[in-house]
Amino acid sequence: MKRTLKAFIRKEFAQALRDPRMKLILFVMPMIQMAVFGLALSSEIRNIKLAAVYSPGDVAAAGLTRRFISSGWFVPADPGRARDPSGLIVSGKADAVLVFPVEGFARAAARGRGMVQLLVDATSVTRARSVEAYARNIFAAHAAADAGLEASSPPFGFDVRIIYNPEMESPMFMVPGVMGMIVCLVTIILTSMSLTRERETGTFETIVSAPLENHEILLGKTIPYVVLGLANAALVIAAGFLLFGVPVKGQLWQLFVASLAFVITTVAIGTLISTISKNQQQAMMGGFIFLFPAVLMSGIMYPVENMPVLLKPAVYLNPLYYFTSLLRNIMLKGGDPAAFISNLSALFLMAVSAASLAYARFRQTLD
Amino acid sequence: MNGFDIHRSAAVARKEVMHIMRDPFTLVLVMGLPVLLVVFFGFAIDFDVKNLKLAVYDRDNSRVSRQLVSVFDSSGYFIPSAVSSPSRAITGLDSDKFSAALLIEPGFGRDVGRGALARAQFVADGTDNSKAMAVLGYLPGISEAALRKFGGVTRSDPVPLKARYMYNAELNSRWFVIPGLAVIIIGLLSILMTALTVAREWENGSMELLLSTPLKPAEIIAGKIAPYVVLILGGVLFVNLVARFGFGVPFRGGIPLFLGGTLLFIVSALSQGIVISVVTRQQQLAMQLSMISGLLPSLLLSGFIFPIESMPVFFRYFTMILSPRWFMEIARGITIRGAGAADLAVPLLALAALSAALLAAAFKKFKRDLEP
Amino acid sequence: MKTGPALEVKGLSIKFGDFTAVDDVSFSVARGEIFGFLGANGAGKTTAIRTLCGLLVPSSGSALVGGLDFSDGGKSIKKIVGYMSQKFTLYNDLTVGENLDFAAGLRKMEPRYAAKRRRELFELIGFDRPLSTMVASLPGGVKQELALASAMLHDPEIVFLDEPTSGVSPGSRARFWALIHKITGLGKTVIVTTHYMDEAEQCGRIALMRAGRLIALGSPEELKRGAFPGPMTELDFKGAEAGEFISALKKAPGLLEFSPHGMRWHAAFRDQAALSAALAGLPVSASAGLIKPSLEDVFIRLIEGAER
Repeated sequence: MKRTLKAFIRKEFAQALRDPRMKLILFVMPMIQMAVFGLALSSEIRNIKLAAVYSPGDVAAAGLTRRFISSGWFVPADPGRARDPSGLIVSGKADAVLVFPVEGFARAAARGRGMVQLLVDATSVTRARSVEAYARNIFAAHAAADAGLEASSPPFGFDVRIIYNPEMESPMFMVPGVMGMIVCLVTIILTSMSLTRERETGTFETIVSAPLENHEILLGKTIPYVVLGLANAALVIAAGFLLFGVPVKGQLWQLFVASLAFVITTVAIGTLISTISKNQQQAMMGGFIFLFPAVLMSGIMYPVENMPVLLKPAVYLNPLYYFTSLLRNIMLKGGDPAAFISNLSALFLMAVSAASLAYARFRQTLD
Repeated sequence: MNGFDIHRSAAVARKEVMHIMRDPFTLVLVMGLPVLLVVFFGFAIDFDVKNLKLAVYDRDNSRVSRQLVSVFDSSGYFIPSAVSSPSRAITGLDSDKFSAALLIEPGFGRDVGRGALARAQFVADGTDNSKAMAVLGYLPGISEAALRKFGGVTRSDPVPLKARYMYNAELNSRWFVIPGLAVIIIGLLSILMTALTVAREWENGSMELLLSTPLKPAEIIAGKIAPYVVLILGGVLFVNLVARFGFGVPFRGGIPLFLGGTLLFIVSALSQGIVISVVTRQQQLAMQLSMISGLLPSLLLSGFIFPIESMPVFFRYFTMILSPRWFMEIARGITIRGAGAADLAVPLLALAALSAALLAAAFKKFKRDLEP
Repeated sequence: MKTGPALEVKGLSIKFGDFTAVDDVSFSVARGEIFGFLGANGAGKTTAIRTLCGLLVPSSGSALVGGLDFSDGGKSIKKIVGYMSQKFTLYNDLTVGENLDFAAGLRKMEPRYAAKRRRELFELIGFDRPLSTMVASLPGGVKQELALASAMLHDPEIVFLDEPTSGVSPGSRARFWALIHKITGLGKTVIVTTHYMDEAEQCGRIALMRAGRLIALGSPEELKRGAFPGPMTELDFKGAEAGEFISALKKAPGLLEFSPHGMRWHAAFRDQAALSAALAGLPVSASAGLIKPSLEDVFIRLIEGAER
C-alpha cells in the first residue's frame, strides 16, 4: 500500500511537473490571476459618465455639477454633437444626465417650484441604484447651499460603522473569493481528466494488471492532486497576503484545515467526473458544467443567500460557497469556531459523498 | 496562398458535421446547455439583497425606537431579531449568523421627540462585497421612512431630484443578467468545443492525415469552424427566444446588427479555441488553457457583473483584448437600449479587429505546423 | 520450479450482457511452452487473454492459471502473470526509469529487488540507454521491448503478450521473437496472440479461434496435417489462358481448398488419386509442383473457409 502510493505520487508529480507549460499553469498563472483579479475587481460603481444640461449662465447649476465631479464618483461625459439628453444615454456617451430647470436652478429653488431631473441608464440595475444614491447624497448635502438657501440638517440619521473591512477595500472582498475560485479551477481540471486519460491512452491496462484493490488505485490517483492543490492554495494565500496585505486574523491551522477539506472535496468531485466520462471530451464538459455554476454561486458574484427557494439547494451543494465563507471568516473575522465548524462539516459531508460515489462508480474493467 | 477552394472547405465541414451528428452529446450540449444555464441563473441571480438577518439591541425601548425597528422589518430587506447585548450582536456577526446590527442607546426616543440630533448605530459586515454595498444603499431610504413614521419633520429639498430610469423603468435586474449570461456561456462553449475537437485530432493523429492532403490551412480552419458557427448560432437563437418569451427581456434593436455582432463574436471565440488547441496539441492542457483564458476572465473581467469603469486604468485597457467584453456591450446595447450601428461603432470595430487577429493567429499557427 | 500445467482451461465462457466473447473453450498449456492464439479481429483472443491474466472473471467454466483459480477475483493470478497489452502501456511523458519504478510500485516490489530485476531485464532485452531517456523519444521496437520488460519486472511465471509486434518493423519483430524464445528458455510460459503467420509458425502450439470458439488446437505441423491430410500442389499458369481449367478444377471431386497466392494458385486434395485426376487437363504451359501447406493455408481453410 505504502509503496504503491509512493509510486503513484512520484509518477503523477513527474507527469504534472515535467511539462513547462503545465508548471506555468499550475504555479505562475494562479499568481497572475490573483494579482489581476485582486487589483481589478470591485463591485463599487465609479467613473460614472455624467452630462449636465442647463441654460447658459446658470451658475448654481454649474456649481452643483462640479460638486458631482469632485465627489469622485462621476466623470464628465464627452457629449460630442448630441444635445438631446436622452440621446446622450442611447448612444452610451453618458450613464447619467442631470437636467436643470430652464429658468435657472437658483430661481427655481427660490420659487420653490420645478425640479431637477436625473436620467439614468438602467441597463445595469445595480449601477442605476448606486448612481441615484450618490446623486441624492450630493444633492442633500449641497443643493440648498448652491441654490443660495439655508440648509437644514435632518433630525435623525445613522452612525454607520463597517467592521472587519472598515475602508471597504476591494481586495479584502475579492481576494478570499478569487482564491477559492483559482484552487477550485486547478484541482478540477487536473483530476477530471486524469483517469479518463489513462483509459484513453491505454496505460490504465498497466495499472489494472497489477494485483491492486480499487481503493489503492483511487488513492494513488488522487492523493498527488490533493498535495498539488494544497501547494496551490498555499501559494495563492501567500500572494493574497504579500500582494494585497489581506490579513489572516484567524489561526493558520484553520486555514490549513479549511484548504485541505476543500481540496479533498474538489479532487473527489473531479475524480467522480473522471469515472463517469467515457472520453476526455466528456470529462472536460463535465468539468465545465461543475465549474461554471460553482464560480457563479460562490458568493462573490451576487448575493446567493436570497436565491429563490427552489434553486437554493444548488448553493448548498456548492463546495466553493463554503470555502469562500470559510476564507472570509478566517481571514477577515478571525475564524469564529461556530462558523468554522458548520462550514467545515458541510465540506466534509460533500467530500465523503463525492468520494463514495466515485468509489462506487470506479471499475477496473477495460473498454 | 493561391486561391481558397470552397469545395475543399466544404468537405472538411461535411466530415465535421458527421462527427457532430454521430455524437449527440455535442449537439445536446450546444443547444441545451446554454438554455439550461440561462434559465437557471436567470432566476438565480438577483442583486437585491433581501431578508438580511439584523441583530437589534434596543436599550432605549421607547415607542420611537420600536418604530425604527419596525421600519427595518417592513422594508423587506431586513429580518430583525433582538439580542441581549452589543457584544452578542458582534459575536453574531463573527459567526456569520447576522449580516448587520442595529444598536440603539437610551435616550434615542427622547432626542427624536425633542428634535435634537438623534443617532442610531448601524454596524455592517465588511467582508462580503455582494451584500455590504447593497446594505449601505438601503439606509437613506430607511431613515426617510423612519422620519415619516416618527411623525416629525420631513426635510424637503429646495428643488426635488427626480430620477428617471431609462430602458428599464422597473429596475428588473434580469434584463441586465440574461443577455450577459448568454454572452459568457456562448463564448465559453465556443472555445471549449473547438479547443477540444482540434486537440483531439492532434492527439490521435488524424490531424496529420488532414495536413498531408493538399488542403490549405485556411480551408481546414474554415471547414472546421463553419459547422460550429451554425450550431452555436442555433444555441444563440434558443437562448434569445427564452430570454424574450420566458423572461420578458426586451429586444429593442435591429436583428441584423445583432446577428452580425454575434457572428463576429463566435468567430473570435472559435479562433481562440483553435489557437489553444494548436499550441497545446493535448486535450488536458487545452482544457486548462481554455478554462484559464476563458472562464475566469470572461466571468470577471467582461463587465458581466463587475463594472469595467470601476477598474484601475491599466485593467480598463487590459479588458480591451477580451472579446466578451465588447460583445457584452454590443448585446446589452442592442437588446436593452436599442442602440444602432453608429452608437456601437467602437465595440463593433474592436470586436471585428479582435476576431480578425485571432483568426489570423489560428491561421498562422496552423501554417507553421504544416511546414516543420 | 512448480509442477503441473501452466494453464488448465475447461469450458471457459465469458459473456458481456448478451454477447458471448469466449464460448466454451478448453485447453491446457504446459510450463515452458510458447502457446499462440490465432484468429481474426473480434475472435475473442484478447478477451481470453485478459481473463487468464485475472482482469476479467469467467462467466462459466473453470480456468486454473499456474494452479490458481478465480476465487479471489483474479488477485492472486495477477501476481504470477505478466501482461503486455496490445495498447502501448508505458507513459510517453515519463522516462524509462520512472516508468519501471512505477511498475515496481504497482507490484509493491522492494526497491533493491526491483533494481536488480531491472538490470537483469535490461540485459535480457539488450537495453543500454540511460534511465533518464524519455520513452516518447525511443524507436517503436525498443518501446515494445521495454513494455515487455515492464510486464516482466515482478518475475511472472506466465507471460501474456497481446499482439506484441503490431506496428513495428520486420527487423524489430525478429528481435522480439528471439526475445520470446529466450524467455521460455528461462522456464517461463509465454502465451501470445498474433496476426502474422510467420510468427505463429514459431509457436509450440497454436489455438485457432473463430467467433469466440476454439476451432483447432495443435502444433503448426499438426494443424497442417489436420487441415490438409492429402497432398497440396502449387499451380503456375505462367500467363496462359486458364479460366476454363480453373472452373473445372473448382468442381473436381476430392478438392479441399483452392485459393490464389499472388500469381500462383494453391490446390489441396483429399488424396493422391484425386490430385492426379484433377490435374489431368492441365494446360501444357502450366506447371504444378507438390508443396507443403503453410499456416496461412490452414488459416484460410479453417477460418475463412468456415465463413464461406
